[in-house]
Amino acid sequence: MQVSREIKNGVQVITLSGKLDGTTSPKAQEEILASLDTASQVVIDMSRCSYVSSAGLRVLLNLAKILARNSGQGVLAGLVAEVADVMKITGFGNVFPCYADVDTGIAALKRKK
Amino acid sequence: MMTRVDSYPTHIYKEFKLRPGRPLPFGATIVPGGVNFSIYSSHAIDCELVLFRKHEPKAFARIPFMRDFKIGNVYTMVVFDLDYENLEYGYTMDGPFDPGRGHRFDGTRILMDPYAKATGGRDEWGKEPDWNNVYQHRARIAFDDFDWEGDHPLEIPFEDLIVYELHVRSFTCHESSQVKHKGTFAGIVEKIHYLKELGVNCIELMPIHAFDEFENSRLSPATGKRLMNYWGYSNLGFFAPKAGYAATGKFGMEIDELKNLVRELHRNGIEVLLDVVFNHTAEGNEQGPYISYRGIDNQTYYMLTPEGYYFNFSGCGNTLNCNNPIVRNMILDCLRYWASEYHIDGFRFDLASILGRDQNGAPMNNPPLLESLAFDPVLGKCKLIAEAWDAGGLYQVGSFPNWGRWAEWNGRFRDDVRRFVKGDAGLAKAIIQRVEGSPDLYHSQGRSTSSSINFITCHDGFTLMDLVSYNDKHNEANGEDNRDGSNDNCSWNCGCEGATDDPGIAFLRRKQMKNAVTILMVSQGIPMLLSGDELGNTQFGNNNAYCQDNEISWLDWTLLEANQELYNYFKNMIAFRHAHPVLRGKEHFRNVDYVASGYPDISWHGTRAWQADVSEHSRCVAYLLCGKHAKSGTCEDSTIYVAMNMHWEMHGFELPAPPPGENWHVFANTDLAPPCDIWGVGHEQPLVNEQQVLAGPRSVLVLVAK
Repeated sequence: MQVSREIKNGVQVITLSGKLDGTTSPKAQEEILASLDTASQVVIDMSRCSYVSSAGLRVLLNLAKILARNSGQGVLAGLVAEVADVMKITGFGNVFPCYADVDTGIAALKRKK
Repeated sequence: MMTRVDSYPTHIYKEFKLRPGRPLPFGATIVPGGVNFSIYSSHAIDCELVLFRKHEPKAFARIPFMRDFKIGNVYTMVVFDLDYENLEYGYTMDGPFDPGRGHRFDGTRILMDPYAKATGGRDEWGKEPDWNNVYQHRARIAFDDFDWEGDHPLEIPFEDLIVYELHVRSFTCHESSQVKHKGTFAGIVEKIHYLKELGVNCIELMPIHAFDEFENSRLSPATGKRLMNYWGYSNLGFFAPKAGYAATGKFGMEIDELKNLVRELHRNGIEVLLDVVFNHTAEGNEQGPYISYRGIDNQTYYMLTPEGYYFNFSGCGNTLNCNNPIVRNMILDCLRYWASEYHIDGFRFDLASILGRDQNGAPMNNPPLLESLAFDPVLGKCKLIAEAWDAGGLYQVGSFPNWGRWAEWNGRFRDDVRRFVKGDAGLAKAIIQRVEGSPDLYHSQGRSTSSSINFITCHDGFTLMDLVSYNDKHNEANGEDNRDGSNDNCSWNCGCEGATDDPGIAFLRRKQMKNAVTILMVSQGIPMLLSGDELGNTQFGNNNAYCQDNEISWLDWTLLEANQELYNYFKNMIAFRHAHPVLRGKEHFRNVDYVASGYPDISWHGTRAWQADVSEHSRCVAYLLCGKHAKSGTCEDSTIYVAMNMHWEMHGFELPAPPPGENWHVFANTDLAPPCDIWGVGHEQPLVNEQQVLAGPRSVLVLVAK
């Protein structure tokens, strides 16, 4: 699992690449929180994340709770179909708004501002 | 944040860092830095924790419980730095093998934790297991931090429930269900809109605890198809859900998927009851496998004969020792867990009479387990429902130990209504009791109408369509020469055994099904429907489809269109019950007028008004419910009149006068074709002749005064 961060059109974009599972989740969460301004807006690019386990879902849910607490805003972008489906049927479908790709995610956040 | 001083290891074993654990709660619990393992055995002399990576047949570690790690009869330790999402664990227990004294320890067996919150080994339904694996049913560690988003059990008043019993796979497995995840918890979520439209406000799930669909799996000699342990009345563990019922079971996410189902049902006003099977386990008799209990503490978990053999009050090989104090606590822990952790609204206890037997199998007057459940604070708002009999001959309908808390599946309602509807003589008196909520069974004990779960069909026995299509069971596909299943079905095929093109027979069958559901919905007590009956679902005469994972059991959703008339009737009859509190009284009738309305709360009539004929030959009874007595006179409702003519000839029913200023209107008449069979709430049609109604052969009429 690789965590990378960039700024695109003034919005933070975190890209998760690989599998977000029990082995990778603790470190991924640490890295995301270390690099993220949680009082601001963020797009989490999931297009290169092929699998999210129970632990991984909880990383996303925790991130949503932290953003909400700090008045930040987050969206998911480019979810792989199977990951999106798993999130929906395990009850994590409403954690973040989901968009097709990073650009539409950024556009949606800009509208919210 | 402060770091707890007990979050550091105190012991080392090989590469593992350990410390003494906490005995409570039992099971495997995630704690800071590690996992707390805790298991008890009164008779073991040694215990070892065995760790596996998920799906791997060979253990990667065996960690003995050191002397410091035993408190009383509990073995407990914390193991640090485990990747618990990728972990499966079991135990070995050493102790005496002395069956005559009830001990069957075998230190070579790897045993599942009785408190396992998740299990591996059967992650995907029907996927052939690796039979060489020495550890078949594997304890896993559960995430218990679901985000409920404010959900809470609904606490719908018991008497207002309409229960819909369903099997997770049967409900959506058929191609015609058109859901994405067929036969799963997620599949049910996709059908919530249907349940809402039908109008039920409670589903009762047939067993969803971990079980092995391959238990006693075999090929049917009759059909060549594979037979399975399809219904799942055979628990591996009591705390874990059946992973194969989850679309995400293969990812180990069945817990979240089930919780999501409960949350979504609650959001739509639908409660969830679980059918729980505490009467036996999947370990069978002396010849059965070692899965858990047998190897952990056989003498504690099972009822044994003085010679050390298994008592078989369940008909399934063994009997859980429910009134042993240790087992009693496990059952209590288990139900508390489902109520608090899964927001389950209530439980239906399979063969519940076993729960009232002592350790020698004798029925008790005040069984401590049933009393504990009745008064438990965590279960304080849960519905508790007993299947008030067992396979050992105990039949307690009307006499189940209850403390005012326990309801019962009313087998008398089922049998009396079936016989009445098929036209048997001598049932008029009994039908009065059943319609009134069975006061003959419950009132004398001070129990309310909600002690009675009224049903005509359930998973056991014929579906409603089969009840009116078959005189005899047809269980050949089960491979037991048609010996299995009940012979006492009180069914009638209406003139032809099985499917027919005869329009007269088809009309009569539809009418009989409408008669049945009408009587169910206008009776006091809690109605329960079998899923699919509203579609006219058939099991082709099979009245015991416990092993049929195929079209015999799966609901055929194309019937929704083919039997639109029946579905529409069910839907409107359910809406009628919801609309009329007078049908849902909590207290029993007093048969007097106690609100000065001019009518008793209930009055019985016949073909002559105010004169009920309850003689042996009578098949015509009618009654009037006074709307001003609704909910013991605390709310006002319409006055309702119901005429039931189960004779094969038409009869005129002289009508009692409606309340002053009101007129009788027809809500339903099962003798008529649509749209005149049922009019919908608020669309009742005025009667031309207010003095008398004609009830066609074998039909029910429902009138509303307005």
